[in-house]
Amino acid sequence: MKVKVENLNKSFNGLIVLDGINFEVEEGSTAVVLGRSGIGKSVLLKCIVRLIEPDSGKVFIGDVNVLDLNEQQLNEMRKNIGFLFQSSALYDSMTVRENLAFPLKRHTDLSEKEIEENIKEMLALVGLLEAIDKMPSELSGGMKKRIGLARSLILKPKVMLYDEPTTGLDPVTSKEISKLILDMQKQFKMTSIVVTHDMVVASSVADNIFLLENGNFVFKGTPEEFMQSDLQIVKNFLSQKL
Amino acid sequence: MKIISIITESTNRFFETIGGLMNFSIRFFAEVFRSPYEIEEIKKHMDELGVKTLLIVSITGFIIGLVLGMQTQPVLARFGAELFLPGTIALSVIRELGPVITALIFAGRVASGIGAELGSMRVTEQIDAMVVSAVDPFRFLVVTRVLATTLMLPLLTIYVDFIAIIGGFVAVNITQNMTFPYYISLILDVLTFTDFIQGIPKTFVFGFVIGIVGSYLGFNATKGTEGVGRASTTSVVISSILIILIDMVIVRLTLMIFPE
Repeated sequence: MKVKVENLNKSFNGLIVLDGINFEVEEGSTAVVLGRSGIGKSVLLKCIVRLIEPDSGKVFIGDVNVLDLNEQQLNEMRKNIGFLFQSSALYDSMTVRENLAFPLKRHTDLSEKEIEENIKEMLALVGLLEAIDKMPSELSGGMKKRIGLARSLILKPKVMLYDEPTTGLDPVTSKEISKLILDMQKQFKMTSIVVTHDMVVASSVADNIFLLENGNFVFKGTPEEFMQSDLQIVKNFLSQKL
Repeated sequence: MKIISIITESTNRFFETIGGLMNFSIRFFAEVFRSPYEIEEIKKHMDELGVKTLLIVSITGFIIGLVLGMQTQPVLARFGAELFLPGTIALSVIRELGPVITALIFAGRVASGIGAELGSMRVTEQIDAMVVSAVDPFRFLVVTRVLATTLMLPLLTIYVDFIAIIGGFVAVNITQNMTFPYYISLILDVLTFTDFIQGIPKTFVFGFVIGIVGSYLGFNATKGTEGVGRASTTSVVISSILIILIDMVIVRLTLMIFPE
């Protein structure tokens, strides 16, 4: 599914955060949205799934403008979208197994045995099969991200959104998560949008990079073009981040 | 001037909360009959709530009956009416003390817990995660908890009433020598169906209030851990005040409907 955003606007109490954003992510490709902390990257991601309602604009997932959907239609659409939260957002009153079973039990007709098989398969993919009976409080930050990713992918979404997937992780774990994102991308062939300020992630997973500044993109291009860009703002970003 | 502005601000906030609670309650009634019903989740919450409060309400219930008996006995003895003591204890407990005290303890234990739990889920994006995975968090988190508190409090109240009557029996036997069957027969001579009508049905309302207040404040928590703490404490304060106010109204209404 292609993702296309047209003239998206969002402000909070008069403060403009997204100012007429336009971009397009081709089916099966990965776009990375870079930008400083607090610049509005997560707001953009949340507007795409309508966790935050945009003030105006259009967000197409496939051919459907999600802003035109009613609640029921939106929920149907959301079943095609995976979202990895910055905080992983694992349900802390449930075990890892229950976290992964949660979407399957509600959105599929799978038997208990099939659900168990799906959970184990997904946990094996993220390399954490042994954590199946653990509570989220027993997991490290990197493990939580992996489990969060497994839960997001368990319904085999067509679009995957990553909100700061490596924030708060050490450089080694960050690289592991980047590799995992790349592996999942190859395996599931999803359309992905990764919001980050981490250049390690960006350079490993991006097909295209978008740099957000003052409510709009100041750079759009491939990672190579980003590295070679003469734009001062890109140079500043790279000098701080690399 | 500062005091006036603080009072004005607090009053505004209180009425905002009440308005929010009304909307939240309307949404609850709109959602409660829609599937999926999440029966397992409701049972799980009822189980947790019962376990969480059973010990404290048992101790409190026993002491209420005991103290009530010890306080009332000398008064009745002055009029030579000590045989009315079991009935007096039972009436006080079943009509008023059992429901209200159990509800207040339940509010302290459960409303704060729900406020903190949902508040924590809000600030750690777990509620957002539910929304994104196409599950309605209101139905899964709020409706199940409110139903659990609404159904559990009456059960706990019946249990507390019984325990308090046992406490009353101990109090009676401090000064008199009375067998348990005789004690119960004296209670049954006095009690009528109306006494239960005045005591038990209102606990459904109290249970609902506790669930809806805790859920509302937790569900709408903001400002990180500070917000979670505020949701937890405010849940207890607001639900306790509402329980007492609603009790006053219900007592007046039931006395009008069932005059003595």
